[in-house]
Amino acid sequence: MNVAVMKTKAEQAISESFEAVAEKLPGSAAVKARRAQAIGAFSGLGLPHRRIEEWKYTDLRVNVKEVLAPSVEDETPVTIAELLVALGPMAHVDGHRFVFVNGHHRAELDDVADAGGLKIAAVGELLASATEDLSATLAATPEGGDAVEALNTAFMTDGAAVRVAEGASVTKPLMIVFVRAGSQASSVTVRNFVTVEAGATATVIEAHVVLPGASPDVQLNALTEVTVGKGATLHHAKVAVDEGKALHLSNCDVTLDADATYRNFQFSAGLGLARNGLNIIFEGEGSKIDISGAYLARHSEHIDTTLVVDHAVPRCESRELFKGVIDGHGRGVFQGKIIVRPDAQKTDGKQMSQALMLTEDAEFDSKPELEIFADDVVCGHGTTAAELDPDLLFYCRSRGIPEKEARALMIESFIGEAIEKVENEPLRDALAAYAMQWLGHSPRG
Amino acid sequence: MAAVQETIDQVRKIDVDQYKYGFETLIDSIQAPKGLDETTVRFISAKKGEPEWLLNWRLEAFVRWKAMTEPTWAKVHYPKIDFQDLYYYSAPKSTEGPKSLAEVDPELLETYKKLGIPLKEQEVLAGVQGSRVAVDAVFDSVSVVTTFKDELAKAGVIFCSISEAVREHPELVKKYLGSVVPQSDNFYAALNSAVFSDGSFVYVPPGVRCPMELSTYFRINAKQTGQFERTLIIADKGAYVSYLEGCTAPMRDEHQLHAAVVELVALDEAEIKYSTVQNWYPGDAQGKGGVYNFVTKRGDCRGHHSKISWTQVETGSAITWKYPSCILRGDYSRGEFYSIAVSNGYQQVDSGTKMIHLGKNSSSRIISKGIAAGYSQNTYRGLVSAHRKATNVRNFTNCDSLLIGDKCGAHTVPYIEAKNSSAHFEHEATTSKISDDMLFYCRQRGLSSEEAVALVVNGFVRDVLQQLPMEFMAESQKLIGISLEGSVG
Repeated sequence: MNVAVMKTKAEQAISESFEAVAEKLPGSAAVKARRAQAIGAFSGLGLPHRRIEEWKYTDLRVNVKEVLAPSVEDETPVTIAELLVALGPMAHVDGHRFVFVNGHHRAELDDVADAGGLKIAAVGELLASATEDLSATLAATPEGGDAVEALNTAFMTDGAAVRVAEGASVTKPLMIVFVRAGSQASSVTVRNFVTVEAGATATVIEAHVVLPGASPDVQLNALTEVTVGKGATLHHAKVAVDEGKALHLSNCDVTLDADATYRNFQFSAGLGLARNGLNIIFEGEGSKIDISGAYLARHSEHIDTTLVVDHAVPRCESRELFKGVIDGHGRGVFQGKIIVRPDAQKTDGKQMSQALMLTEDAEFDSKPELEIFADDVVCGHGTTAAELDPDLLFYCRSRGIPEKEARALMIESFIGEAIEKVENEPLRDALAAYAMQWLGHSPRG
Repeated sequence: MAAVQETIDQVRKIDVDQYKYGFETLIDSIQAPKGLDETTVRFISAKKGEPEWLLNWRLEAFVRWKAMTEPTWAKVHYPKIDFQDLYYYSAPKSTEGPKSLAEVDPELLETYKKLGIPLKEQEVLAGVQGSRVAVDAVFDSVSVVTTFKDELAKAGVIFCSISEAVREHPELVKKYLGSVVPQSDNFYAALNSAVFSDGSFVYVPPGVRCPMELSTYFRINAKQTGQFERTLIIADKGAYVSYLEGCTAPMRDEHQLHAAVVELVALDEAEIKYSTVQNWYPGDAQGKGGVYNFVTKRGDCRGHHSKISWTQVETGSAITWKYPSCILRGDYSRGEFYSIAVSNGYQQVDSGTKMIHLGKNSSSRIISKGIAAGYSQNTYRGLVSAHRKATNVRNFTNCDSLLIGDKCGAHTVPYIEAKNSSAHFEHEATTSKISDDMLFYCRQRGLSSEEAVALVVNGFVRDVLQQLPMEFMAESQKLIGISLEGSVG
């Protein structure tokens, strides 16, 4: 049935705001043409809604009512001290820093000295630069493509373009920090490019944090394009911690060459409505991925993790583990699809998604999917949804542990299993501390 | 020379075109003119001498159907069906019901003999103690012979064709028909509601345990006739019934459409066990000519402590689109789904179940085993959901897929929706191939590779086979072996 769907107020507002800011968005003529194509594609697609299978549980048409003005310029003053406060437990992570405030690069907050083997540039500058033509790497939005990615191309203002040189081994992690500051509620759109050349090793942490006193409202659209070269290793983490009102739309598109290793960890807490999309394609044989994550939802927060792992070539291995704690009226959504293409023999895929529901009103929707066209494979997925085990709780209490503490202990061990997956120790500790804070407990000594 | 002979045998085995039940019985049938419009619906209704209310019910369904579009979400591909190019009614010529088996058309009996339905044997068996099976044989839409009626009547069980039930027990039919699968439920259910030909009706009165397993053999016979059965089973308070459905169809070139609707109603503390063995013509070696099976099966656990159990062995049909579901409305109700879906050649299966937990403390269990070979596509699609107020519900789901050959596909699309925290849902799925070690071991012990595969596969599906009544278990084991012939070698 092809019924012409009425555009929602928000959809109209998005198109209108593009008209209003198009001139101010950075980019050469070629980039501007890409943006125009993307917004055109978006007006054809509209905001994703539940009739689109991939968005069945997260309906943006219903949930996005207002559209905030895009942050095309930003002068909000932020000091390094303030930045460290915003980073909270993550301030202890010793690494290089590349900082954006409200979607705009702030060189004065960076710390990229002695980043040997790492080449970092601001995407905003590259877009405007005549020598580096980014428009070629900006893929045109295909027909029936992802509306959120199209919006990213149309509105992106800045981001980090990271290149790890061939064979380089960067020991210190690179933190790409996106800070929200100032009382002005706005929509922020950023695009990152991370390229790890053959044989190189690096750790990249994407942190989305908020300065105390900043407007609680934000509409964020972040897209990170990752390419991992032959035999290269990338440890990637995305941490988003907010105050419960943010609209957080993120996508991470990963392409792996042969014998590459890619690890990704997604941590989400306090996001009003979040959609973490991960699209991973194996393009070379013998590669491995380990994707995991932890999310914490309470009040009426909604956290959606949607994952597509495409085994396009033989002999690759994928592991996924996602754990969520859902409190209040919170809602957790997990969609994980493993595709094994016709000739991708010897594929080994395992996926697990678990949710712990703390209140009667919590909701968890899970859709793990296997699409397998090759026979010599070992693939499996599992999903569970449950409340805290009353027997375990009883056991703890019989040993003299007060109920509140026993519950916290059990939740901690549940979520801890996922956090354990983080390789960088200071970051792992920071995330565990966040989880404890969320549970209402101070970090243990 | 021996080697050459072996090659010939092997090639013969690879040919999947060895449908054992491929034949066509030449019996004159009365057909409705080709195509579907209001007159067809009226023709069918008039032919069956139906009361006004049922005709109106059919017409209402037809109006709804006209406004609906074919569903496209399933992972199956087939050329568009021209619904105006089908016959919607065909009945064997002799309308007078035979009084005994001796009066039955001998050609019909011959058909059953080829299918291995031991009707006569059962007449003999009826006198002796032990397992008894009542057969309501559906031969192209109209029930021709019904045995064991008297004995069932003694227990108060009503087991007859649905057209007879409309005449004899209109109050029951009126009350329950369409109460589980409404007329406008989906495209094929609406079509069925408009043109359903016949089917079985079972009513088990309160507190009665049906004295025997009820069984129906369906056959599709006349050329280009869609068969639209409507089955309605009601187990009143505290009743128990086990129902067996087995299907085979003759070989033909044109695709055949089969859109049945099965409705089960279990009241307080009642239990219904519904077992199916489906072995319709899957198409020839190129995937041409098989049956399209678009079936809506749904059970409603309406009462507390009620239980509905679906067991299915699917080996046939070119396309299967089938989701036997349970609505667990009653508190402490239970739903079960055990399935084996075997696909070979160019078969496409998109099957699974829905367990909709509405009642408190309801529980369900899903065991699905999919086996894909040749060029087939085998999909499990299921939904497990817990309503906000359905506290303490439990579900365990296990879907395993086995792949034989590198040209087939196995897919799993489960939806798990927990809307309250006390729901305990567990889901696991695995996909793998038969391990070479196992095959090697069997072959080393002197089994041929086909025997080895059959052995491993039967072990793989054992959990489900055990749920079948004895009569079906042995048959199904053989059926799975036949279905997989030619998949290795």
